[in-house]
Amino acid sequence: MSACTACGAALDGGAAFCEACGARQGAAVAGGPGAAVTPPVSEEAAPFDSVRVSAAAEIVADSGRRPCVECGGAVDDDAYCQLCGAKQPSERDHYRQEPAGEGGWVAGVCDRGIVHHRNEDAMALLGSPTSGERAVLVVLDGVSSAEDSHLASEAGARAACEALRAPFPQGMGTAESRHAAATALLAQAVRAANDAIDATTPEESANPASATFAVAVVEGERLVVANIGDSRVYWLPDGADGVQLTVDDSVAQMQMAAGATREAAESGPQAHAITRWLGRDAPDLAPRVAEATVSVPGWVLACSDGLWNYASDPQALRAQVDAAAVPTPDPMAIALGLLAFAKGCGGRDNITVALARVERAEAPSGRAPTPPGQNALIDPTEET
Amino acid sequence: MAEFTASVYQNEFLPDGGTDVNAIVTITCSGAGTAGQSGAGAAGEIIIVDTSGSMGPATMAAAKDAAQAAVAEIVDGTWFAIVAGSDRAMLAYPQVSSGPGMVRMDDRTRQEASEAISRFVGSGGTAMSTWLDLAGRLFSSVPDVTQRHAILLTDGENREGANMLDEAIARATGYFQCDCRGAGTDWQVAELRRISQALLGTVDIIPSPDQMRAQFQDMMRSSMARGIADAQLRVWAPQGAQILFVRQVSPSVEDLTARRVAVNPLTGGYPTGAWADESRDYHVAVRVAAKAIGQEQLAARVQIAIGDDVLAQALVKATWSNNSELTAKIDAQVAHYTGQTELAAMIQEGLAAKAAGDEATATTKLGRAVQLAASTGNDEATSKLRKVVEVENEREGTVRLKRTVDKADEMALDTASTKTTRIKKQTDPSTAGGTTT
Repeated sequence: MSACTACGAALDGGAAFCEACGARQGAAVAGGPGAAVTPPVSEEAAPFDSVRVSAAAEIVADSGRRPCVECGGAVDDDAYCQLCGAKQPSERDHYRQEPAGEGGWVAGVCDRGIVHHRNEDAMALLGSPTSGERAVLVVLDGVSSAEDSHLASEAGARAACEALRAPFPQGMGTAESRHAAATALLAQAVRAANDAIDATTPEESANPASATFAVAVVEGERLVVANIGDSRVYWLPDGADGVQLTVDDSVAQMQMAAGATREAAESGPQAHAITRWLGRDAPDLAPRVAEATVSVPGWVLACSDGLWNYASDPQALRAQVDAAAVPTPDPMAIALGLLAFAKGCGGRDNITVALARVERAEAPSGRAPTPPGQNALIDPTEET
Repeated sequence: MAEFTASVYQNEFLPDGGTDVNAIVTITCSGAGTAGQSGAGAAGEIIIVDTSGSMGPATMAAAKDAAQAAVAEIVDGTWFAIVAGSDRAMLAYPQVSSGPGMVRMDDRTRQEASEAISRFVGSGGTAMSTWLDLAGRLFSSVPDVTQRHAILLTDGENREGANMLDEAIARATGYFQCDCRGAGTDWQVAELRRISQALLGTVDIIPSPDQMRAQFQDMMRSSMARGIADAQLRVWAPQGAQILFVRQVSPSVEDLTARRVAVNPLTGGYPTGAWADESRDYHVAVRVAAKAIGQEQLAARVQIAIGDDVLAQALVKATWSNNSELTAKIDAQVAHYTGQTELAAMIQEGLAAKAAGDEATATTKLGRAVQLAASTGNDEATSKLRKVVEVENEREGTVRLKRTVDKADEMALDTASTKTTRIKKQTDPSTAGGTTT
């Protein structure tokens, strides 16, 4: 027996909606409203579970529109859900990408959240048809105090993604030279994003558009990440401890570097003040670049602070991934599950979640696979 | 070709935690045409006249004259019949004992019907259940007739076992519509209102015989102008929401909540009967689960449908806001009709208390009615109330019951209690719909 996340009434096992208040029952909500009655994540149905068992079936008509983002019901031509009545967001306020095809290994969702009036996050994804071959996850978080950040972030994400369409040079060189080549390409992607952002605001603007930047590039076992600002990339291997690969350019990060705990720093008054960003007034455009080897099954996750605000620690984030993966370990289902989790926690910022699924790579002969959780993580390298 | 439009008046903004959404939906029909002329089926009219022994000579003479005037208003080609009602119902015209119990109107049948009416003689008791049942059988004897309307005139109260009339009303509900008129003051307002409400008609008093002819003409003209045989109000509400009530609030107050039939699990249909070129207002109240500040959702879809065709719809929305300037406002239409609905209840309850000898309750309720009639600008209710109570202070709602009241004035107040007034519409309602039939 579990309890409704909205009103606390007792629920029948697996109930998709609360009989008492009608609230849809979704993924675990930690620390959000009603947290006191939230059962452990392992007992919760993930959001897409409820979609499948919803009572919608008998009245759902095929309107040719994407199912309701709230409950999965059919959506009328006037953009309201025929089941729960939720107003469906505009394409800018909620969009999804599955570049490797439907049900493929790369998926992402970019959403307005609940509190903000528009979605200033942006996302652009690439994914090879062959699982595990090559994926690019680009996430930008427009700074809401600046002009037209929703246009800027969108333009920036697309430009960066285009710049990363070609694989990193493989060459004959050493690991160091390959890393330098990747770093140079990522720096180019940052400049492309920055140029696109600059193009959205006039030169004389007192408050030019600006955005954070985070990218993850998966090429086989190789994972290269880069960031400016506080959007993040995590590596979350199955059954082992995950790591945050990016290092935020934020006041909170500086406080953590000075010895503050993550919890204290990230909840402090300056937690969301970033120290570097893209845009006409950017302090500098050098991304922090880091590499990791991903030779065990796991998830590469790129996200904006709209998600990690509610699960910053890699282990906490992994728990939400696992909760969202209960019905189907489909990347899009998990991305939507994480979105539902962040919204359930209050959705106080725009939310972007991009995922690439890494399966167990074929171990090259003569080399033992890296044991789980012991990935060879090269120290984050700052380019000057 | 008939056209429907739907407009909604509401304050969609709810405070944090707010759950109840109220809206007035105005549905307007234009181009309705004439009853039975749309090609969708024929119209049928039955005139039922009380011919019990209680009908005095003057009343009977007036009733005959009125029924003949009504017959004159029936458009040629319309199926019709005349029923004489006492302790049993008699088919006065057409005089047939088998086959179809109605005939089409033309010069000859109009003349024959008038002659049949002129032969009415008062005798016997009053058993209205038999009148309604005969009307139902007559309508069903002509399958072509799909728009069914009756006029019922009586001067007395029903003299039957307790449930006989209710059961007959139940049999007729949804099959034909019926306007009821009471002549004089010896009939029961509550009784005729039960019939007219269930059968989607009107009820009124005809205090003196000389007003009868005009009333019958009016009723029949109104009925003949209803070119839309039957329309259904549909209300969709989201899963988990509760429809608190659905009321027609103009031109009169009729609570439709209990008349819901399921169209699908989330949509209920409510009968509205036949339509002429007219506007009707509906008050819909829905309770939804509260959402977070900034969220918007659809609280109800209010539609007008003929058969399976939805001809117009209005969207009732809910948006949660922490701006109290937005959330504190009550829509003027909603406020007006909430007052008018309470006015109807106060008049009916006040008169019932007065009849039961409970003067304290009657004074309080009729006082509140006076206050509401004044504040909502219902002049008709105000003038009718003033014939029953002495008003001390209209704004405070303090009144004294009059010692001598004309029974007809009291009954007129009762029958008119559900009639509402409109207020000037706000600007810029969201309008949708407008499909032709």
